[in-house]
Amino acid sequence: MAALVLIAGTSAGASAATSAVNASTVSPTLQVSVTVQKAIALTLSQGATAGACNVTTASDYSISFGNVDALGINTPTCGASFLPTTPGVSPSAYYTDYKLTPMFTNQSSTTATVTAYVSTNFATLASILSVVQASSAPANIGALSAMSTSSGSPTSIGTTLASGTAITRYIGVTVQPTNSGSSTVSGSDTATITYTMTVP
Amino acid sequence: MRRLTLRGMLTCMVLAATPAFAQDITLTTNASGITIGGSQGAWSTGFGSVNGLGLGTPATGETILSGTGGKLYSSPYDIAITGSTGSIKAVVKAYVSTNFAHNAILQVYSCLASCGSAANHTAMSTNSGSPTNIVPSPGQHNSTVTARLAIFVSSQNGASAFTGADSATITLLVSDGNGPVVHTYTLTLNNPTTNVQTAVSLSVATAASGRTVSAGSDFGLSYGTVNGLGISPGVGLTATGVSGGQLYSTPYLLQPSFSSFSSTTGTLTGYVSTDFTHPSQLELRDSSNGSSYSAISKSSGSQTTFTSSAASASTVTRYLGLFVANTNGGGVFTGADSATVTYTLVVP
Repeated sequence: MAALVLIAGTSAGASAATSAVNASTVSPTLQVSVTVQKAIALTLSQGATAGACNVTTASDYSISFGNVDALGINTPTCGASFLPTTPGVSPSAYYTDYKLTPMFTNQSSTTATVTAYVSTNFATLASILSVVQASSAPANIGALSAMSTSSGSPTSIGTTLASGTAITRYIGVTVQPTNSGSSTVSGSDTATITYTMTVP
Repeated sequence: MRRLTLRGMLTCMVLAATPAFAQDITLTTNASGITIGGSQGAWSTGFGSVNGLGLGTPATGETILSGTGGKLYSSPYDIAITGSTGSIKAVVKAYVSTNFAHNAILQVYSCLASCGSAANHTAMSTNSGSPTNIVPSPGQHNSTVTARLAIFVSSQNGASAFTGADSATITLLVSDGNGPVVHTYTLTLNNPTTNVQTAVSLSVATAASGRTVSAGSDFGLSYGTVNGLGISPGVGLTATGVSGGQLYSTPYLLQPSFSSFSSTTGTLTGYVSTDFTHPSQLELRDSSNGSSYSAISKSSGSQTTFTSSAASASTVTRYLGLFVANTNGGGVFTGADSATVTYTLVVP
């Protein structure tokens, strides 16, 4: 008994994922790879109140109160002001509302905290100018409190802050009615506030 | 006296005829070429299966070169010259005496020098009155000359496209250059028969100013490090805020090629054949213009259509977007992930 085995081959041979002959279809693949990282961002912007001081995006952000004086005579360039409780004795204040917007993604926590402190205080006018702040619209000058100048114990700006939700805070300067023949008590000066957002 | 004169005349005729018929040639297989078969003066050879894109592995002894509008399948062959000494040299010319039936698709080419370049191959004459030089004048003494024989395979599609078997015959003329042809031989391209096949190819490539597409398995595109805020997108990427997160996008190229099809267009589709491990945070999206994106299908049965009129050798620019969610909370993912998009080119 004999068996005859016929083996037939097709010519549709040479084919690869990216090309083929004697065929009408080809199906190459594209592998897309990615590494997802946590991200965090904190932005400052102009407050919603009419006349609020503009927050510019210079190094990293900046705000200018323009000309101020201890008697509250100067109309605020922007924002608002409080007259001194006792003119010539107690300080005046110039302040504005502004917005902080925390943004964070791919964090295990859904809330963040923001603190701030004066990392570089006023220099030549340190004896008459102070950075003050408030968490809500101040009703009077007493509602503005000094911002910490210590990185170790910064001022709390907010807790349980949600990503993408802007909060409104208030920042300003008080101007002491100091007169002196030996130290500088007028002119231009700047201070820097460092904000820190932490997502636990 | 009369007998002596006749003998002398015969002797002179023999002496005069001997040099004219001394030149001869034999075609033989070159060590690096396709097989030359057949018998003396009626040789045969062939290129077998070919295609206009030069895809696949060519048969032993064939080299594929890129020509304009197609590919050249080229092979060396040897011409052993005999009977050519002293003032006698052999000149060999050739022409296509029986052309391919589909000579708009297949053409016989020849090359004598620097044959690694398609540009040095020339179409063999189809005119017996002006044959192509193979061993040009003033000819060669006894030696083995290596020349190259090639066929050009057009990559055209459409009504004139052709697939299937075809053959041609080359006639070789041997002479001393200035004298008469002393031998007429043939080389038939039917062993094996030339068989034109369809070919199809699809590549994914880097677009200008786009993210690099690497030739991995099969192709790869890395978005590098991404985040839900779109901070510092990598080179070639644009991060745009969209609902629920960021869209990292890049242009890229789809390069379809096909030949010998009756249709001049194909359909390009694709789907996410292997999704990200974290599909709630990562999603692949497609756009034709870089501004309006939609999720790429994850179903092989209902794929995303990129174009239904893909022309061969015409690049299609698309935009591949990666959506990165800006979610937080327990179980949120950070780290590496990957997905695979399978593209399909179908030419009807």
